[in-house]
Amino acid sequence: METAALLVALVIALALFFDFTNGFHDTANAMATPIATGALRPKVAVLLAAVLNLVGAFLSTEVSKTISHGIIREDSLTGTTMLPIIFAGLIGAITWNMLTWLLGLPSSSSHALFGGLIGATIVGASVAAIDFGQVLSKVVLPALIAPFTAGVIAFAATRIAYAITRRYDNKPDGRDGFRWGQIFTSSLVALAHGTNDAQKTMGVITLALIVAGWQDPAHADPQTWVIFACAITIALGTYMGGWRIIRTLGKGLTDVKPAQGFSAETATASTILASSAFGFALSTTQVASGSVIGSGLGRRGSKVRWRTVGRIAIGWVLTLPAAAAVGAACAMLIVWFGPWGIAVDAVLAVAVILGLFLRSRRNAVNSANAMSEVAESGRAVKVKRNPPPTRRQRAAMRAEARREREAAAAAAKREKREKEASK
Amino acid sequence: MNITIDWIAFVEVFAAALVAAVLVVGFYAIGLRLLVRAGRVPVVAPVEFTDAITVISEKEARRAAKAAAKAAKKNPLTEGQKLFALVCAYASFTLCGLAVLGGLLLIVLK
Repeated sequence: METAALLVALVIALALFFDFTNGFHDTANAMATPIATGALRPKVAVLLAAVLNLVGAFLSTEVSKTISHGIIREDSLTGTTMLPIIFAGLIGAITWNMLTWLLGLPSSSSHALFGGLIGATIVGASVAAIDFGQVLSKVVLPALIAPFTAGVIAFAATRIAYAITRRYDNKPDGRDGFRWGQIFTSSLVALAHGTNDAQKTMGVITLALIVAGWQDPAHADPQTWVIFACAITIALGTYMGGWRIIRTLGKGLTDVKPAQGFSAETATASTILASSAFGFALSTTQVASGSVIGSGLGRRGSKVRWRTVGRIAIGWVLTLPAAAAVGAACAMLIVWFGPWGIAVDAVLAVAVILGLFLRSRRNAVNSANAMSEVAESGRAVKVKRNPPPTRRQRAAMRAEARREREAAAAAAKREKREKEASK
Repeated sequence: MNITIDWIAFVEVFAAALVAAVLVVGFYAIGLRLLVRAGRVPVVAPVEFTDAITVISEKEARRAAKAAAKAAKKNPLTEGQKLFALVCAYASFTLCGLAVLGGLLLIVLK
């Protein structure tokens, strides 16, 4: 009983730490574009993101239920088996997150969490303990489909925004007004982030409480104190993380115009919010990146830099199996050495957290180790400074040329007539 | 191992997200267009001109404000038409806000 209580406490502490790093890392997803286009003062943007992440965590619990009651068949496992597995899975996720953060590789906190849990469960319990149907339909497929969906929606929204506000008489088009709108859309993204990412930690803690026998498995809803703890932690992480990320802005997203940023954020927020309502656990980073690429393509004369897209995609694909491998290795230590394995894992976790803390104190912030994913996505699309004319502009240019030709011909004819008359 | 995937849910998410985004962006863009028609071209300079973020310079912002004032002066509409455009612009912004609130309400009540 005492060991179980200790393990539950360790799992809760680690899960909350993961929640903090999630908020820390993902501030940029919500606030990168409004800061890059100058819509919000950096300090205000980060504070707003933190508050809305807090509010968002209370809006829906569908994603939490997906994690606590679906991916792992907790009914087939006992508390003493399952708690070390969750513990190992969390260490796998945090280790992979930290490693990618240090190396500046694109990654997803959410997929690291799923990978860690799945890897640890396979090694610590069995393959049968994983509900692959749920993993496929609620994690893998949404991960593959959501960035593409967000990209298509952002593409359509950007096209609509530009088409409606386009002027053919070279007078001011008022697109600057999208800067105001970005304050609301970026707030929506922060809210959406809270509805999806904070839920994942709630799900893990609820799973730990269920397997420890402290919560009824029939009621997979997270308890109120769990919701409060996760909401406050992700908000705190968002607030603390923003400062480092803001310093790197301007390097990757200066090309994002207000109309484009507005459309990208609307697409990101609507995709995440709709997915959260259905309990799909998405990577908000991937969705935000898909939207930035889609909205870039929605501008005239844009071209995709496939090499950059490829680099981002490889990072995404690698996250799940890599975190699974680390989670499996941590679970292996527990299987081999029992309680000593848990102790080794705990030491490893402390070392990772300490490493993360020491690394964050070093003043080496650049675009590679902070907001790499979203900024990289901004660079994945090349937009021409002078875009080609639209069909209507081409028709106007042709009509203008025709008018000039006709005027020239009429002038020549008049000149000829005058010459003949003077003869 | 029996794996069942609810493909309809994916289609529903895509459709809901697409409709929501198109409504929000569409209404907001129409609002801006009508605001310009009413002779009130929005010129929103960045709140901070920092070294790291070079969106537009202060000079460019001043030039944009000047162009907006010139366009407002040359607006061919009557005062009544301008007022109508302005009312429609605010109505469009309101619809945009209602679309967002409606979406959030659907999620909370689900």
